[in-house]
Amino acid sequence: MPPWVHIPQLLAAGITMGAIYALVALGFVIIVRASQILNFAQGEFVMRGGVVTFFFIKGAGLPYPLAALLAVISVVCIGFLLHLLVIYPLRKASVLILIMATVGASIVLSNTSALLFGTLPKALPPFSGDLPLEIGGIRIAPQGLWVLGATFFLFFVLYLLSNRTLVGKAMEASSTDPLGADLTGIARNFMVFLAFGVSAGVGAIAGVLVTPLFYTSYNAGTLLGLKGFIAAVVGGWGKNSGAILGGFVLGIVESTSIAFIPAGYKDAVAFVVLLLILYFRPKGILGSPYIDSRRW
Amino acid sequence: MVKEYNKEYKIEYRKRDILYTAGLWLVSLILPDPHLPYRREFIKKRDFFYLGALVLLPLILSDPLVYLMVLAGIYAIVSLGLSLFLGYAGQISLGHAAFFGIGAYTTAILTTRYAVSPLGAFGASALAAAVCAYLIGKPILKLKGYFLALATLGFGEIFLVMVRESRSLTGGVSGIFGIPWFSVAGLVFDTYLKQYYLIWGVLIALVLFAKNLVRSKMGRALLAVAASEDAAASVGINVAQVKVRVFVVSAAFAGLAGSLFSCVMSTANPQGFSLGLSVLIVMMVIMGGMGNLYGPIFAAIFLTWLTDVLGGYQEYSLPIYGVILILLLIFFPDGVGTRLNARLIYLISYWGRKRRREKVDI
Repeated sequence: MPPWVHIPQLLAAGITMGAIYALVALGFVIIVRASQILNFAQGEFVMRGGVVTFFFIKGAGLPYPLAALLAVISVVCIGFLLHLLVIYPLRKASVLILIMATVGASIVLSNTSALLFGTLPKALPPFSGDLPLEIGGIRIAPQGLWVLGATFFLFFVLYLLSNRTLVGKAMEASSTDPLGADLTGIARNFMVFLAFGVSAGVGAIAGVLVTPLFYTSYNAGTLLGLKGFIAAVVGGWGKNSGAILGGFVLGIVESTSIAFIPAGYKDAVAFVVLLLILYFRPKGILGSPYIDSRRW
Repeated sequence: MVKEYNKEYKIEYRKRDILYTAGLWLVSLILPDPHLPYRREFIKKRDFFYLGALVLLPLILSDPLVYLMVLAGIYAIVSLGLSLFLGYAGQISLGHAAFFGIGAYTTAILTTRYAVSPLGAFGASALAAAVCAYLIGKPILKLKGYFLALATLGFGEIFLVMVRESRSLTGGVSGIFGIPWFSVAGLVFDTYLKQYYLIWGVLIALVLFAKNLVRSKMGRALLAVAASEDAAASVGINVAQVKVRVFVVSAAFAGLAGSLFSCVMSTANPQGFSLGLSVLIVMMVIMGGMGNLYGPIFAAIFLTWLTDVLGGYQEYSLPIYGVILILLLIFFPDGVGTRLNARLIYLISYWGRKRRREKVDI
């Protein structure tokens, strides 16, 4: 059978995957819009969201929505703690030190998760049944639609947050013009603190949505976080719309690539896309406010 | 008569010229450059102290500790190379584990499949890593900061996927077994003691090379690039070329270390060359101090010992390791040994002041 027969089905899978990458990428963008910091532990928020929900359902016997809500709240607390314990003491450190510190935080988060909740992969039941929908011969899992809907809903909420509220505008000001923000009396460190909380919340929601589709184990966060970051770079670094577009582009490219190359090489595709984008258009598809096109 | 003598002399000189130049070039790699405009001792007294300590250390160490020092020496070679790239040129690389892996796999494949001598494979793995670094570095090194870190990290991940999937060449996840011991002219390095002297000997040669490199024109150019690329370009330094060159040199160091690693372990499998190793090596350079050649070596010994000790705590080891990394970064962001004297003096004077203050209060 020729490989292009499978492409519509792979496209559908790619859109679902892309929505997940877009959610993770949104988490990166929230922090970058407030502080120019790159949080390598973003993927661990996603993993924590799924694993903690599983723990609340199976371990504590709570109903699904309550467990998901508690998981999101606990992960937001982890985000706040991450800022207070790691990022705040290092707020004047160089880029390299911040990268290494967040990598260290990601090691701590993923391995404490293994200690607390076990190393076995976790799977949650889907929100609305297992039966796949058939649209024009393409099978779509209903959970995929949930993920898509949540992605666009969160995109809308974040748009409202950063364009229609004073807090959102203050967050953006503290990144684009730190001195100006200080002069107008914005508490910049508090804005970064809030941004870490929001970003952790978005990551945790992504985790709750993803776990019914894939098994989430304690070490799943690193790769998911990296791919989310790649999506944010591909779409346009520091833009919410760029994160969404980059996520879909990456997801579709990655899943259609299965038709042409062995499935084992799938993980390398995202990094090849990244290298190509960084080489030919480092500011991303939609352009980036933070990267000067002349000198990057 | 005079004419005859001149002619003869010229011919004689030309014959030896090639040999002399080759020899002098090799010697110049490890000996100080006499044309430097100022006098500063190239080899200091403390270097002889370190050398003596290294030679005598196996006498007091037990066998597991000698093995640990062998591993530390291998990591020290990589971190020495990375120190040139990260500490001197100020660029970020999270992909050095891949060059380490390229070196290890080149040696593994050449010695087990094609029966190349380990010494030949040693050179070939440095060459392979250097060629890969040149091809990768040309496009990537335009980037800065987070993006350079991510691009090098991406290269490392691509390398891992390639190694896992091309099973016919690299043996997939299980790797390659039965790599012969390192041997030079009939001398086989088959005990930990012999390997210790081999690896630290290689390390000393590379330290001398790196010290010369840092004092050369290129080393000065590296410092200028780290300080400001625009300023460096304005005084006539070819910034892109300098960055690619130092990347190639540091990758060749990693390739040499990888070759020694596969000979010591006699296996090569992809688990050893993951992101964790890159992070460990970058931590060695940060802990040793930026722009410092001895620091990364001490940090390599310390962190290798630390990972070994933490390994005894089973599943608690990685969380503790992460916490220690963060604490080291928060409290010693520019190296444990950097300005140690000044910091100690400050600390002692602080205690003194405190005591005096308390006395006055009473």
